[in-house]
Amino acid sequence: MKTTLLQNRPAFLTALILIILPFVVGAFDGASPAAVWENGSGISKFVQGLAIEIFILTLYALSFDLIFGIAGLLSFGHSLFFAVGAYLTGILLKNFGLNLWQTLGWVLLAALTQAVLFGIVLPRVKGITFALVTLGIASVFHILVMSRELGEYTGADVGLQGVPVPDFISPANERLRFYFVALCILAAVYWLYRRFVDSPTGRVCIAIRENEGRAKMLGYNTFTFKFAALLLSSFTAALAGALHCLYQPIVSPNTASMGFTVTALLIVLLGGVGTLDGALVGALAYRLLDFGLRRYVGESASFINGAVYVAFVLFIPYGLVGTWRLKSLQIQQGWQRIARLFSSASR
Amino acid sequence: MALFFRKNVLLVITLSVFAGLLLAAAQGMERKDFLITLLRGLSVGSLTFLVASGFSLIFGLLDVLNLAHGTLFMIGAYLGWTVYVRPDTFVDLLTPLALTAAGFTAPALWNFIAAQLPPAARENRLLPWGLLLLAALLAFWVLPRYPIAAWDTENFSQAPGSYALMLDQGAPLPFPQVAFEKISSFLALSGLLSIGVLGALGLAFFQPPAQPVRPGWKDLVPIVFLLMLGLGVFAANDWLTAVLSGLNSNWLFLLSVLIATLSGFGLGALMESTLIRPLYSRPIYQLMLTLGMSAIGIELVRAVWGRPEFTMPKPALFSGSGAGCPAASFDAWWQNNCSIALVFEGRVRVYNEILIPLVGVFVLLAVWLLLQRTRLGMVIRAGVQDREMVEALGINVRRVFTLVFGLGVGLAALGGALAAPSMGLSNAMGESLLLNALIALAIGGLTSYPGAALGSALVGLIQQFMIKYGQIGIPIPFTDILFKPSAPIVPASTVLLMVIILLLLPNGLLGKKD
Repeated sequence: MKTTLLQNRPAFLTALILIILPFVVGAFDGASPAAVWENGSGISKFVQGLAIEIFILTLYALSFDLIFGIAGLLSFGHSLFFAVGAYLTGILLKNFGLNLWQTLGWVLLAALTQAVLFGIVLPRVKGITFALVTLGIASVFHILVMSRELGEYTGADVGLQGVPVPDFISPANERLRFYFVALCILAAVYWLYRRFVDSPTGRVCIAIRENEGRAKMLGYNTFTFKFAALLLSSFTAALAGALHCLYQPIVSPNTASMGFTVTALLIVLLGGVGTLDGALVGALAYRLLDFGLRRYVGESASFINGAVYVAFVLFIPYGLVGTWRLKSLQIQQGWQRIARLFSSASR
Repeated sequence: MALFFRKNVLLVITLSVFAGLLLAAAQGMERKDFLITLLRGLSVGSLTFLVASGFSLIFGLLDVLNLAHGTLFMIGAYLGWTVYVRPDTFVDLLTPLALTAAGFTAPALWNFIAAQLPPAARENRLLPWGLLLLAALLAFWVLPRYPIAAWDTENFSQAPGSYALMLDQGAPLPFPQVAFEKISSFLALSGLLSIGVLGALGLAFFQPPAQPVRPGWKDLVPIVFLLMLGLGVFAANDWLTAVLSGLNSNWLFLLSVLIATLSGFGLGALMESTLIRPLYSRPIYQLMLTLGMSAIGIELVRAVWGRPEFTMPKPALFSGSGAGCPAASFDAWWQNNCSIALVFEGRVRVYNEILIPLVGVFVLLAVWLLLQRTRLGMVIRAGVQDREMVEALGINVRRVFTLVFGLGVGLAALGGALAAPSMGLSNAMGESLLLNALIALAIGGLTSYPGAALGSALVGLIQQFMIKYGQIGIPIPFTDILFKPSAPIVPASTVLLMVIILLLLPNGLLGKKD
């Protein structure tokens, strides 16, 4: 027990910080923990909302990191996974009046279907062609969603609106509960992903990323392993989509566009490819950067965003987490040197 | 022959299916409609081809998936517009650009100067950083003060759209007058020159120390040329502006297309040598870099030219509408410069549906000749096949990379400048064309040059026939139902085609098999 705690100190610390975050922020605002517990409006509620968005983005980026960073599949159609989850949740709740659990069941089934769809493509094309075919499949979905014929269900280019969210999890009145639900899902998914990557299956996935031919020579059926990663990724992204739909009550067609896949790519690259932790750090950096720039710079925000990404690619290629892992020893040494400087000065 | 057939059964079948579809389409509509749709498809295909061919050359040789290609297409369009509608801005911009760039074109000279320094001083990194900082500060101080006659996106009467509209109406707006007010002209010119010199000197100090090599006169040609150009344009500013704005619109259009293409070439070469080159060992990062560049490019265009869409008037040769129009024969068109010609009794827009496909075919042939008949083309083809082998043979592949990247971007910019009068200018024009080009390349084969042409033509034709059938409807056999493909089906049809073809032939129609 003790060793588990020690080994995963950063993870537990992060979880602890995220649990007390709403109350601490509330305290800064002068709201007592009881008021925060009662979902009083204020800064705490706003920060919870931002955090929920970051959690959803993290889930989505995690799912992309699994197939891109771990299994080495570059898919340009990842937004399909997310958008199917979001749209299906919205349509089933709104037009078919199903309850939340039935809806989630259908979403999982849809996730399975889309993973099988990508699985059909998977052994036939590889590399950049796989990226293009997945882009094609995702664009067909985007076009379907945007088409006027299905406007009754999807809302065409306006987006899906007016989703009736069940009361016990409504983001307006029960936001703290939503926050903890999203946090729990994130923690569970992160734990599952860690286990997956550390398991023999995950190791084979990494081997496939490094050299597929060699993994085949060693006798692994590489398709099975890639498909396993794809399946897990599809489930996670669809779940993230469902959460997105429940939180926003609006699903914009942008979530099905290629731009949203690029968002996942950017988050993963910001945080560090194949690190898993990078997804949370990257999503945090991405969302805060985007939010801060839009608020204080206005329209030219994407310019600075783009410049930041270019700078990252050129100067911090392993992302925040990857660079931290590479340089942590040097950083420690630097701190020690500074500490020595001070201690010798005081003597 | 039989062997070829057996090896390419799927390709032959696919092509014959397309031919059959085309014949069926010809049966389903009147001859003039068919012809117009065909020409429109070829026009869209030509623009797609201009983007796709550069993209495929770059991807084939450099293995860089340049997702900023659509944005560069758009930048080409905006640059062409600027030269065509606002030649005064273009002339004003030449001097600062040439003078700033002059410093960077003589690395041999700066290396020679840097090598004179004692090695101990070279160890110190303070000097180069200080020089770079000085150059940056100088740039921040001089550049905003340099007077450039430009449009004002906030002010409607001076917005880019208004200039284009008034030029189209035959009563062009007067260009704004600017003068050196915040800075004296001598200070501005020497400041511009020092930005480049200080920056280049700072970069030279970063180089590892080497034996000083005296620069020959050849090393000094570019810097002297740029200096002369900058100062000459500065001296003859008013005269040049008057000449350009008084020029016949056909020649001005030709000039603007040429300048857009050349600037695209320069922009591409600059991008490759500064941003892409450090990343050849990290392929995925190039993808992110080009995505970032694309976002930056779109924002830059929005900041300079504004968000609203606007048009670019067609040159006089393609905009006549007086007596004798629409022209029924070539002679009639040549005399009246009609914008519309009658081809088999169908009304065809000359610029959109005849000139653009012609330019597309011309570029196809020119680049094909370049690839097949010159030494550079030989190196490119060899590099596409086996890059390491070419390097091992002692060919300076790096220089060829820069050239090819420049060439690819130049082609895209040419496409943009050509498309501007027919499509109009908008911030989103690049993205849809990039998607079209990607689909075309995936269909034709990613690194195959003929494949790019075939794929682009197919994409253009299928889209235009789908649009046409969206108007007249497809009769479904044995029923009375008219199936009308709606607007979203147009892009979906090409995407679906791409998916099907890639699943049948993973390397595209004309791509090489592994």
